[in-house]
Amino acid sequence: MLKKVALSLAAAAVFALPAAAQTVDEIIAKSIEARGGEAKLRAVNSLRFTGKGEFGPGLLIPITLQLKRPGMMRMEFTAQGMTGIQAYDGKDGWDVMPFQGKKDAEPMAQDDVKEMQDQADFDGPLMDYKAKGNTVEYLGKEKVEGSDAYKLKVTRKNGNVETSFIDVDTGLEVKSITKTKMHGNDVEIEAIYSDFRTVEGLIFPYSIENGSVGSTQKQKITLDKVEVNPELADAQFHMPPPAPPADAAKPAEKPGSDRR
Amino acid sequence: MDARRKKVRALGGLVAGVVLVTVGALLGSRAVAADDVKIDSDTFGNLSARAIGPAVMGGRIAAIDAYAGEKLTVYVGAASGGVWKSENSGLTFKHVFDDYIQSIGAVRIDPSQPKTVWVGTGESWTRNSVSVGAGVYKTTDGGDNWQLMGLADTEHIGRIVVNPKDGNIVYVCALGHLWNSNAERGVFRTKDGGKTWKKVLYVNDDTGCADLAADAQNPDLLYAGMWQVRRYPYKFISGGPGSGLFRSTDGGETWKPIRKGLPEGDLGRIGISAAPSRPSTVYAVVEAKETALYRSDDLGENWTKMNTSFNVQGRPFYFAYVVADPNDFERVYKPGYGLTVSDDGGKTFSGIGGSYHGDLHALWINPKDSYQMLLGTDGGVYFSSDRGSHWRMLAALPVSQFYHVTYDMQDPYNVYGGLQDNGSWMGPSRYTDGIPNRAWRNIGFGDGFAAQVDQADPDYVYVEFQGGHVTRYRLSNGESKNIRPFAKPGEAELRFNWNTPLLTRPGRTGSLYIGSQYLYRSTDRGDSWTRISPDLTTNNPEEQKQEESGGLTRDNTDAEKHCTIITISESPKNANVIWVGTDDGNIQVTRDGGKNWTNVTRNLPGIPAETWVSTVEAGHFEEGTAYASLEGHQTGDMKTYLVRTGDYGKTWDELATPEMTGYAQVIREDLVNPNLLFAGTELGLYISLDRGKTWAKFTGGLPKDVPIRDLAIHPREGDLIMATHGRGIYILDDLSTLRALTPEVLNKDFAVLPSRAAIESLAMFEQRADGDGEFTGDTEKPTARIAYYLKKRLLVGEFKAAVYDAKGTLVENLSTSRRKGINVVDWGMRMKPPKTPPGNQVFPDPYSIFGPYLPEGTYTVKITHGTETATAEVHVVADPRGKHSAADRAEQFKTVSEAYNLVEHIAYVADAAKDLSVQAVDRSGKLGPDDPLRKSLQTLRDNISATQQKLAASHEGGYSGEIELREKILEVYGGINGYTGKPTESQTAQLAALRKELDGLESDFHSYTEKALAAANPELDKKKLPTLKLLSEENWRKKAEEKGSGGLLVDEDQGGNALQVIYFLHVR
Repeated sequence: MLKKVALSLAAAAVFALPAAAQTVDEIIAKSIEARGGEAKLRAVNSLRFTGKGEFGPGLLIPITLQLKRPGMMRMEFTAQGMTGIQAYDGKDGWDVMPFQGKKDAEPMAQDDVKEMQDQADFDGPLMDYKAKGNTVEYLGKEKVEGSDAYKLKVTRKNGNVETSFIDVDTGLEVKSITKTKMHGNDVEIEAIYSDFRTVEGLIFPYSIENGSVGSTQKQKITLDKVEVNPELADAQFHMPPPAPPADAAKPAEKPGSDRR
Repeated sequence: MDARRKKVRALGGLVAGVVLVTVGALLGSRAVAADDVKIDSDTFGNLSARAIGPAVMGGRIAAIDAYAGEKLTVYVGAASGGVWKSENSGLTFKHVFDDYIQSIGAVRIDPSQPKTVWVGTGESWTRNSVSVGAGVYKTTDGGDNWQLMGLADTEHIGRIVVNPKDGNIVYVCALGHLWNSNAERGVFRTKDGGKTWKKVLYVNDDTGCADLAADAQNPDLLYAGMWQVRRYPYKFISGGPGSGLFRSTDGGETWKPIRKGLPEGDLGRIGISAAPSRPSTVYAVVEAKETALYRSDDLGENWTKMNTSFNVQGRPFYFAYVVADPNDFERVYKPGYGLTVSDDGGKTFSGIGGSYHGDLHALWINPKDSYQMLLGTDGGVYFSSDRGSHWRMLAALPVSQFYHVTYDMQDPYNVYGGLQDNGSWMGPSRYTDGIPNRAWRNIGFGDGFAAQVDQADPDYVYVEFQGGHVTRYRLSNGESKNIRPFAKPGEAELRFNWNTPLLTRPGRTGSLYIGSQYLYRSTDRGDSWTRISPDLTTNNPEEQKQEESGGLTRDNTDAEKHCTIITISESPKNANVIWVGTDDGNIQVTRDGGKNWTNVTRNLPGIPAETWVSTVEAGHFEEGTAYASLEGHQTGDMKTYLVRTGDYGKTWDELATPEMTGYAQVIREDLVNPNLLFAGTELGLYISLDRGKTWAKFTGGLPKDVPIRDLAIHPREGDLIMATHGRGIYILDDLSTLRALTPEVLNKDFAVLPSRAAIESLAMFEQRADGDGEFTGDTEKPTARIAYYLKKRLLVGEFKAAVYDAKGTLVENLSTSRRKGINVVDWGMRMKPPKTPPGNQVFPDPYSIFGPYLPEGTYTVKITHGTETATAEVHVVADPRGKHSAADRAEQFKTVSEAYNLVEHIAYVADAAKDLSVQAVDRSGKLGPDDPLRKSLQTLRDNISATQQKLAASHEGGYSGEIELREKILEVYGGINGYTGKPTESQTAQLAALRKELDGLESDFHSYTEKALAAANPELDKKKLPTLKLLSEENWRKKAEEKGSGGLLVDEDQGGNALQVIYFLHVR
C-alpha cells in the first residue's frame, strides 16, 4: 500500500514536459506553465513532502516523502510508534518494515524497485520523454470530477503506462492512472489531485486521493508541508547496514530477564 | 498466523459496518441572485452509489472470448451487464465497459493483436426481456479505452469476425431492430479497422444476421445465418422467407444462398460452426419446421441432416448455437437448455455432467487445450478443465439481472428481489467490511420478480416465479406455500404477466395485492383472495395469442402473456385509493378500495395508445397525486415517458425532458421532499430536484448506462435502493443531502448540506480468507458524513473543514473535497491514534491502533471557504443495536480514555528514557577515555536499558512471545476500545494494576535518574558540557504533536477488495 502512497505522492510532485504532436506539445507547455514553468521545475534538486494518510476512519498515519536528484527517494510512515521506510538510491531499492518484528533493512525485489524507479523519475515521464525512451499519446478530452481534462497516455520505456489528465482550464494535473507490472500482472492505481498550493513559485496538490482502479475504496493523503530544495543527505537513500541492537547502550542481556 | 493477528487483518472490517451520519444545519454563504442553476450529472458531485452485488448467482451471458497466451485472458459480454475482463482465467474480473451501454451481443479478440478487442452491443438472444445496443466498439489497449466504430442503429449484434491475418478486416453480424423494421442490419464489413463500413449482405428490413462463421484457413470464406424475426408485445415470430444460410468465398464481397440438403420451406434462426481442425466440415443448427443439426463436408455446398435430439432442437430463437471442438472436427457441442456433445460428427449427442446453470449462449474452448472451456449461461460464467464434466462458477462477476427490489425494517435492513432466471434472493444492506456472496439467501425459484416482505411480520416473504406463481416463503423454516389465486367458475382464465405485480401493504400484517387482469387483495397472507376489480386491461383478444407465439417453433411461455396488470400502488395517504397500470396501456384508479374504477388512460398527453405502464406510484404527500413511467420499446418506441397527475388522473403532466434516454422503467417520489424524484430507464438513473421540471443523470458509482428496473427508498435510513437488470443491487446511502439541494442552495457558491445522524457503529469482524475469486459488495463506511455544495470546483484557494466538540475544542482538521456539486467528506468520529512506544511489532489487536470513539453528542464543523465560514452540526449517536445504557457508554468512554492516556503515558516514559540514554551516549563521547564520569554515565545507561526492557518487547521475530508492559497496556486498551458498552471488571482491574506497574517503573526511573543527574550534571557543567535533562511530558507532547503520532495500517491488497485499513504486512 505504501507503495501506492509513494507512487501518488511522487506522481503528484513531479511533472511533465514536451511531447510529440502539436496538441501534446501545447498541453504539456500549458501544464509546465501551470506548475511554475520549466526553469523553476528544472531548478528543483530535492523535495520533501510531509503529511498524513488516512487509512481508516480516524486512522491518520504520518507520512514523509523525500526526493532528490538524480532519481533518489525515501518514504517514511509511522504506526504505533514504529517507522517503516521505503527507499531507492538510484540503483538499489530497500525497505524497513518493523511492524511484524524485523527492524533491519531488506533489499527490495526487482518489480518493487522498478516501481520506485518510476517514482523517482524526478521530473515525471513527460519531461525529456524522448530521451527517456517514453512515448506520449493524446487521447482527447475527458471529464474529471465534472471538469474537462486532456488525457495523455504515457508509455514508459520499461512498459509501464501512465495516463495523465491535465485540467483544460488551469493546466494542472488533476488525475493519473498508473499501470505497472507486478509479478507479471498489471496493477493499476488511480489518483485524484486537488487543493493546489504554491510553494516557492511551484504548484503542488496538497490533497491526493488514490486507490485501485475500479475499487471504490480510496485512501486520502493530505500534505501539511512541501519543502523545495531542502538539504537531503545522500546517505539516507542508501541501504543501511543491520541496525545495532535496540539501543546502542544496551548492556549484555541478563538471562531470562526478557521472557515471561 | 495466530488468531489475533487474523483479527487484525480482518480489520478491513472496520471500514464497514453501519454508519450513519448527520449533519444538521445548513448554512450558506452569499446568495447569488442569478438564473437558476441547471443541474447536470456533476451537480451530484462525489455522491456515490455502492454495488452490493450479489454475484452468488450470475446473470445471462451473451458472449465470451478468450486469448490463450502466456496467461488466459478472458472477456465476458453480459446480456445487460457490460464487458468484463479477466487476466487470470476468470478468477478475478474488472469491468472495462462502464462508460457505455451495458447490453452486449458479441465480443471478439483480434487474433493477430490480442490487445485489440471488438464489442458488438445489443444482445441477440432475443428473449422478451432483451435490451438494446448502440453500435460496435473497439479497443486497441486491452479495454482501457474504447471507441464507437459506428453501426449505431443495429440495436442487436450477434457476432463479430476478425480476419486473423489482417485485423483491419472485420465483419459484424447485425440483427437489427427487433420490434420494428430498419435498414441497418445484415453483415457489415470494414477493411480499415472500423473507419468505414460496407453492408455486404442484406436481405430486407425485417431480416438480420444471427450468426457468422469464417473458415479457419481461408478467412475469405464466410457463412452467415440470416434470420427474419419480429417481436410484438404479446408474441414473437421467428422465421420467414427472409431467413437463410449464405456463403461468401470472396471476403464478403458477394454472397450466395446455400440450400442443398437444407429443409424446404421457411427457415428460422441458424447457428453455424466451421470446424477449425478441418475446414471442409461445417455444422449448422437450422430452425425449420423440423429443426435439426446439419453438417457439410464440402465447405457448405451440400448439407446432411444429422440430429434432431431435444437439446439440438430446443428454442432456436434462444439457443441456435453450435460449437465444433477446435481440435477435433468430429466433436461438436450443442449449448442449449443444457450442454450436449457429439463425438461422432453430430450423429448422436449425449449430455455432459457437472453442475452449472442451464440456458447456454456462449461456449469458448481453448484451441491449445480442448479440455479447458468457458461456458456462458443465464446464470453466469463457468469454467471447466475436464472438457465439461465439472464446472467452477466464476463468482466474481456481479451481473445479476433484477426486476424488482424491496426492503425490510431490520437493522441493518435486508433487500429482497427477483432475478431473470435466477430466482429470488435476500441479502443485507450492510455487513462488516463488505457484503460477501454467502451473505445472500435464496428464497424463491425460476424467474424471480417481486419479492415482498411482510413488514409487520418479516418472517413472511412473498415471492413469485413467472406468470403469477406466487408463494409465501417463511424465513424461519424455509417452508413455502403456493398462494396463487385461481379463476372462479364462470370467470375468464386469469392472465398473469411474466412479471406479475405483487405488493404487500405497509403496516398491515398479511395484507397484499396481486394483479392478473383483475386486482386481488388478501388480508390473510394469501390464504384467501378477494377480487376487487373488473378486468382492468383492454382485454383485446388480438393481443392474447401467446399460443401462436414463436413462429416456426412454438414458444408459449408466460413471457408473451399480454393484457395484464403490471404495476400496483396504494396511496399512503388513503388506502382506498389504489392505482394500477397494465401492459396494454391502461392506468386505472379506484378511490373506494376497488368498488369503482376509473380508466384515466385517455387523459395521458401525447403518449401512443397501449404504451406499457411500467410503474405507477401513488404520491406520498397528496391523495390525488400519482406518477407513472410508461414505455413502448416493444413497438420500437424508445422514448422516455414520465407523467404526474395531481387530480386522480383527470389531467397529467409530462415530466420527461429531451435529454433523457432509455425507455422508462420506474419513477419514485421521495418520502420526505416532494420535489425530489427518481426515475430509472433502460439507460440509467435520473434525478429531479424540482418535481420533474428538470432532470440530471446520476452516474456516481454506477455504470453510466445501467438499466434501472426498480427503485425503493428505505423509510428509516433514507437510502435509495436500485434494482439494476444486469449489475445487481446498488444503494445510494442517505438521501438527506439531496433532499436539501433546493434551487436556493444550487444558486449559492457554497452551502453546507445536512446528513443523517452518524452512528458509532458496533464493530464487526470476521476471520476469513476467501481468496480473490468472489465478488464482495461494498458496505457503508463507518464514518460521519460532512456534506456541502460548491457551485464551482475549487482547484486552488483556501477551503478548510474543522470539527469542534460542544465545548468548542478543535477535534480534527478534515481533509476536504473541492469538486463541483455535492461534496461528502468522511469523518471517523474517533480520537487520534494513541501515541504508542515502539515495540518489537504492531500489537495484533486492531483496536489498539485506533483511537477511541468520541462521546456521543453534537459536534460542529466549521467550513471555511476563502473568507467565509459556514457551520454544520454533526449528531453523533450510539449504534442502536448496541442497546447500551447511557451510563454504560459513559463508563466505557471514561475507562477507554484512561487506558488511552496510559498508552500515551508509557510512550512518554519510553521516549524520555531513550532521550536520556542518547544524551548520556553523547556526553560520554565527549569525555576523555579515562574520565570517571564515563562510568557513572554507563551505569545510568545500564539502568535505563533495564527499564526499557520492562517497558516494551524488543525481541525480533514474529513469534518472540515477549510481552512487556507496552503489550499488556495495549491489550487492555484494545479490549476496552473494541466494545462500545461497559468494560469488564477484569479489564478495569487490569488497567489499574498496569497503571500501578507503570507508576512503579516510572518512579524507579525517576529515582535513579535524579541521583545520576545530581551526580553527573555538576561535573558536566564543570567541563562546559551540556547537562543532562529529563524530557518533560509537556515538551514531549509538543514534539510528538509536531511529528504526528502513529496508528498504522496498510492494505495488502492489490486488486480492490475491501481494504483500507489493515495490518502493515510487508508482503514480499
